[in-house]
Amino acid sequence: MQWFQQFAAFRCDSALRQLNSRFVVRRLLQVVPTAFGIVLIGFLLVHLAPGDPVAAVAGENGDAAYYAFMRHRFELDKPLPQQMATYFERVASGDMGTSYVHGRGSLSLVLERVPATLLLTGTALVLAIAMSIPLGAFAAGRPHGARDIGISAIVLTLYSAPAFWLAQLGILVVALKLGLVPVQGMTSAGSTQTGLARALDVAWHLALPALVLASQEMAAFVRLTRAGLIDELRRDHVRTARAKGLTERLVLFRHAMPRALLPVITVIGARIGQLIAGAVIIEIVFGWPGIGRLMLEAIQTRDTPLLLALFMTISFAVVLANFITDLAYGAFDPRIRVR
Amino acid sequence: MRREQIVLLWILVSLSVAGCTTDKSIARPFVAALTSDPGQLNSAITTNGGVHTAAGVLYDGLVELDDHLKPVPALATSWEIEQGGALYRFHLRHGVRWHDGKPFTAADVKFTFDSLLLKYHSRTRASLSSVLLRIDTLDPYTLEFHFKRPYAPLLQQLNVEEAPIMPQHVFQGVDPLRNPANNAPVGTGPYRFISYSPGSEIRFAANNDYFSGEPAIKNLSLRIIPDASTQVIAFEAGEVDWLYGVPGPERNRLRQDKRFRVVQYPGYSGGSNCVVTLGFNLDRPVFQDVRVRRAVAHATNRQQVLERVLFGEGRVADAPISSGIGFAHASDLQIPAFDTATAKTLLDQAGWRSGKPGDIRTAHHVKGIPEETPFVVGFTGMPGQTKYGDILRAQLRAVGLDLQVKPLESAVFAETVFKKRDFDTAIISYCNGTDPEIGVRRQYVSSNIGPVPFSNTAAYRNSEVDSLFDAASSALDTVTRKRLYHRIQEIAVRDQPYVWLVETLNTVAFKARCSGFSNSPHFVATAHCAN
Repeated sequence: MQWFQQFAAFRCDSALRQLNSRFVVRRLLQVVPTAFGIVLIGFLLVHLAPGDPVAAVAGENGDAAYYAFMRHRFELDKPLPQQMATYFERVASGDMGTSYVHGRGSLSLVLERVPATLLLTGTALVLAIAMSIPLGAFAAGRPHGARDIGISAIVLTLYSAPAFWLAQLGILVVALKLGLVPVQGMTSAGSTQTGLARALDVAWHLALPALVLASQEMAAFVRLTRAGLIDELRRDHVRTARAKGLTERLVLFRHAMPRALLPVITVIGARIGQLIAGAVIIEIVFGWPGIGRLMLEAIQTRDTPLLLALFMTISFAVVLANFITDLAYGAFDPRIRVR
Repeated sequence: MRREQIVLLWILVSLSVAGCTTDKSIARPFVAALTSDPGQLNSAITTNGGVHTAAGVLYDGLVELDDHLKPVPALATSWEIEQGGALYRFHLRHGVRWHDGKPFTAADVKFTFDSLLLKYHSRTRASLSSVLLRIDTLDPYTLEFHFKRPYAPLLQQLNVEEAPIMPQHVFQGVDPLRNPANNAPVGTGPYRFISYSPGSEIRFAANNDYFSGEPAIKNLSLRIIPDASTQVIAFEAGEVDWLYGVPGPERNRLRQDKRFRVVQYPGYSGGSNCVVTLGFNLDRPVFQDVRVRRAVAHATNRQQVLERVLFGEGRVADAPISSGIGFAHASDLQIPAFDTATAKTLLDQAGWRSGKPGDIRTAHHVKGIPEETPFVVGFTGMPGQTKYGDILRAQLRAVGLDLQVKPLESAVFAETVFKKRDFDTAIISYCNGTDPEIGVRRQYVSSNIGPVPFSNTAAYRNSEVDSLFDAASSALDTVTRKRLYHRIQEIAVRDQPYVWLVETLNTVAFKARCSGFSNSPHFVATAHCAN
């Protein structure tokens, strides 16, 4: 591990030294118009889509007076431009509106569900990377050999398999037949544990959904690592490193890997949005209480304030992920460091 | 050690440690699976089914419905009906306390109706607000409902689903839609609220002060599991003890397993006695002719629908009103039987001719339709109902009609069908409830055409039917009501604004070692489990 820590410390250090604050500020300022645009488009899309929140939220079989009354209560009887102005005014003052269904502030509703999704997607991402890079390196050892074809076939199968099917299969085999992990949920029913016991309970519930989600993410990482390494291992600087008498491990990790991983880093950043989208299905099948399910419910009930708060949160997460990707990219490749 | 080895080791260790710690000394609660996250737990301000399922154990109505859906005492112990049905006097139970210890009185009932139910509960508001004059509290344990005219079905509308009673001291002066108590509710019911983890779990503990006895099952947990197959697997794996619904293909498998019991019943209160119904849009020229509507009915093989869609569980509908409302159901009607020859003859007579067998019929001198227009109509349904469309499409194709299935998610369905009225035929499960006034009237009276969801889908207008419904709701004696509803059904069958397909049942599943469940929202309060 020591080599890696030295390597990481050196890279990050130099990256941070060369990053001036203007770069960071400029990137952060770009977030503001992006967020505004997202809310604007989101607001219009939600209101242009057919469907009436009042019928979905309040219930069925009322009379016309009832629906008019509820529409008034939710301020849906005002003209759209006025609704939009009110909404933006509120957002500017930090109030994301009250959810129609929950009757609570929509931002707090979203934020209390964010940790569950972060835990699921974060674990899945770490698992996927941890499994993919060695597999990619292993496959690159002998391109088009049996192990290369075998690994490619497996990761592509996992990638192409529908998420809900893979999840159901995992539940049937690992949870029901083998009984290794629970079928659903994030904690045991009625659990009042705290501290380590709770963390272990959550980890036990997390294992299967994270693994299923990770297995779907592996294909791109494995293929890119493999392609990058095959390319790099043929290059002059690698030949020089070998000629210097460096061990094959050092050659691989110090000289070939950093350059081979550049496209992988780009893809990791770009996959964050996909990962959240993929998590929706996993959250539904496993009953995982994350924001993906909250979003599906908000769409089904046309809960506009909640939906917009979700749009904002997820877009912000994607923008942030891209920002971090840029920083990481700079750390690995001095050529593109922005001054 | 390499990174991946560490990660792998970490996973294995955490799995095994977690596996060891699952054998907890604390008793596992009784777990029921909820399909949707209710969002909030005040069932007086919505008719959303998810909220009522989740919050049912917290509250009581003035009356309860027994297993035959007959009203029996709950918060009210007795009642008198006077002035020919225009005055109901209720005597309330003494000594009932809210979960926070405050006493329950008639003021709570009056407040709940005036400030919550008659404003926010769509069904109760729609049925009562136009006929109810006022509610008077005579003393803390007596109150009177005064009506503008005699009103027969009141006792069917006072159970925990139609009229859950809420504490005045919690709701007074606070916007009921945003009251924090909606997420930390106080009721009188058999269970009190412990905690609510959104998207995950709602926990309850037995109310040891409950007026009809403390429940034997002390801890209750409602787990939110959106996927129906996952619910069944969790049930089989022992993580869940009660399922509110079982998908058709899974029922037989669970039935054959000795560990489980699968029970079917016609539902509860407003959600009971549901009839799956195909509605014609009578505003469309193609359905103006009753011969076309009757031909569709004749071409429909409802027995096949029952077998293929409901796996034979339920009943072929033989009248406009469900057989579950015994006194009003007309069992002697001649509703069009499955008969493709008659269907073809009727279509020929109506001007829809076919060239060679198997072709789609085309219009010949049909009023409002251009010549040679093929008979192609849409079938609009919510995603769960489109399986009816698939089978009806095949059946109608056999007589030369083309039905095109158009699935719409529920919010869009409500807007398209009831507000825009942009559909040819639509499939709806009309839950008749325990009285025709609750769930049948809305389907036929002309005052109930759009824009309200699940109203008069067909846009059926018949002033005779309108006045018969009014007469039936004012008549108190069952014989008169039975006669009036029979007449309504005769007219409905004659005019055929709908095709009544099948009556559905609710399916629940629970552990065989448990017994004593009721079909009410309090399901678990009367149950006990052997160890």
